[in-house]
Amino acid sequence: MRNSIKIIVLGLIFLTSCKEKDKLEPEEEIIGNYVNIEVQPVYDTEDLYLDSVYTTQEGYKIKFTDIKFYMEDIKNVSTQFSDAGLFDYRTRGTLLSRVQGKGSNYMNLSANIGVGPAVNHNDPSAFPNSSMLNIINANDMHWNWSPGYIFLKIEGKADTIPDATTSLNHTIVYHAGLDVNLQTISFTNITWNKVGNEETFRLKLDMAKFLNGTQTIDVKDEFSTHSMGGQEALTLKIMENFKEALEPY
Amino acid sequence: MKYLLLIFVGFVFFFSCKKDKVGYEPTPYQLEIPSHFPAMQIPEDNPMTVEGVELGRFLFYETKLSGDNSMSCATCHAPSSAFSDPNQFSTGIEGIEGRRNSMALINLGWNDFFFWDGRAKTLEEQILLPVKDPIEMHETWPRAMSKLNGDVDYRNRFYKAFGTDKADSSHAAKAIAQFLRTMISGKSKFDVMYKFENNIPLSASEQAIYSSITASEWGGYDLFRSLNGADCFHCHNGPLMQVKKFSNNGLDATFTDLGRGEVTGNSNDNGKFKVPTLRNIEFSAPYMHDGRFSTLDDVINHYSHFIQISPTIDPLIEFAGQGGVQLDAQEKDLIKQFLLTLSDEEFINNPAFKAP
Repeated sequence: MRNSIKIIVLGLIFLTSCKEKDKLEPEEEIIGNYVNIEVQPVYDTEDLYLDSVYTTQEGYKIKFTDIKFYMEDIKNVSTQFSDAGLFDYRTRGTLLSRVQGKGSNYMNLSANIGVGPAVNHNDPSAFPNSSMLNIINANDMHWNWSPGYIFLKIEGKADTIPDATTSLNHTIVYHAGLDVNLQTISFTNITWNKVGNEETFRLKLDMAKFLNGTQTIDVKDEFSTHSMGGQEALTLKIMENFKEALEPY
Repeated sequence: MKYLLLIFVGFVFFFSCKKDKVGYEPTPYQLEIPSHFPAMQIPEDNPMTVEGVELGRFLFYETKLSGDNSMSCATCHAPSSAFSDPNQFSTGIEGIEGRRNSMALINLGWNDFFFWDGRAKTLEEQILLPVKDPIEMHETWPRAMSKLNGDVDYRNRFYKAFGTDKADSSHAAKAIAQFLRTMISGKSKFDVMYKFENNIPLSASEQAIYSSITASEWGGYDLFRSLNGADCFHCHNGPLMQVKKFSNNGLDATFTDLGRGEVTGNSNDNGKFKVPTLRNIEFSAPYMHDGRFSTLDDVINHYSHFIQISPTIDPLIEFAGQGGVQLDAQEKDLIKQFLLTLSDEEFINNPAFKAP
């Protein structure tokens, strides 16, 4: 009888020993603050939509089919915001970069428009998947013939014959890159708009100003650059006008 | 009392540690990613396992997935054709012909959308569709899974891969997706050229391949990347030899197939199709979404002379106004020689991708 009781007690211990013991407590959800940099393309005073038609200062009709650019080494002096942000209006909307953190750590920001020479020629597959410089994220923003990144890409179509009909058959392709064309930009006393645990710094990219800034880009004659030899002047103008067109919103 | 004791011991034996079912110990699968490729993003809910990949291989070649048990995935994605269909259109079990050429299954683990019109956003989602498509395999998933679950071998395989004895379509899709993610092509002559161009160190065997690259192949590569040459690189770029986009590449002035536009309902997407990889292009004829070109020569001729202008034509086809890039016979030959450097015999003949 005593042995039986012992066996029953041992059995109960054995039976319950495995139950639930491997069950892990659910990990606590990490709730953090996120800071975003967003870019809203506009055409003069109105929001710009891809594939919509706008009128240039010269009276040309123009539609943009793609607007993409890199902003790299985004930092507040020595505090890095992000290694690189990639703006791709068609596939990623207005988001340029999003990281965990607090806006108060980034009251001033500086960055490259484009990709600086320190990383521009690195193997694009070697960056971590989370980096916008990884070839999977860069996608068509990397030239393997240079090799290096395309700093900005603006594509569209225009009608440069001012008549009663709109025929958008004049192709516009601006692909700017190469170390020599790199631009830097900085923003001071940034206002971060806070909603919940999200803080956002909004920029606007005025494509009317891009075409008619300090320098004018006449899409009738200046419709294509791939940053090749013979295209240096237009490429630099594209980069400089783009920088000018990008400002806090 | 003895009986009571025996019953109790039996009870203990039967129920103890029930959760540690024998047989479900999946082995993590290590993907062999070429050194010049980016890391592959694996969905958190479908980690790669040896058992999952093996099950996926069985399912890829499994005809029970079709309504009359005559077709498998491999019927329209044949290994010898770079896992595409050598026929212009594939014919389903009801004898109905599709309207698009089957896409080659290469390096899909790095793709973000699937089918020519990009209607599936994940590999797992893509796999579910051909089975129930009336003009393809024309089977319901419940019936297909009933057939598979009625097979002891499959029941065991599903259990080993996913720890379930009630496998459903999501498990089948996950297994096939795992198998497809192993189908990596990155050992062609082009890969050595790409690594060299991007200052990525070459191994001893790659050095030997590098030495064998001919002047014509290099010449074709230069032409491929030249803006005033063939200008192919805007859409076929990087180690995957494709960019992730939809493009109207000037096949037609008016569209009988709206492509991406059918999915989005946006007329700006009409006539646009997914840009495919050029890897193993030698084996994946016929070409284009509708398989209209039988040979690489036809394709090169299209881009040289026969571009059709339409409202959605890709702005990057900059010589569209002249009908194309106007390559001469010698340049066409160089381009073709370069395209053949994208062949990866090891991929095509890999026994791990063949029918079990």
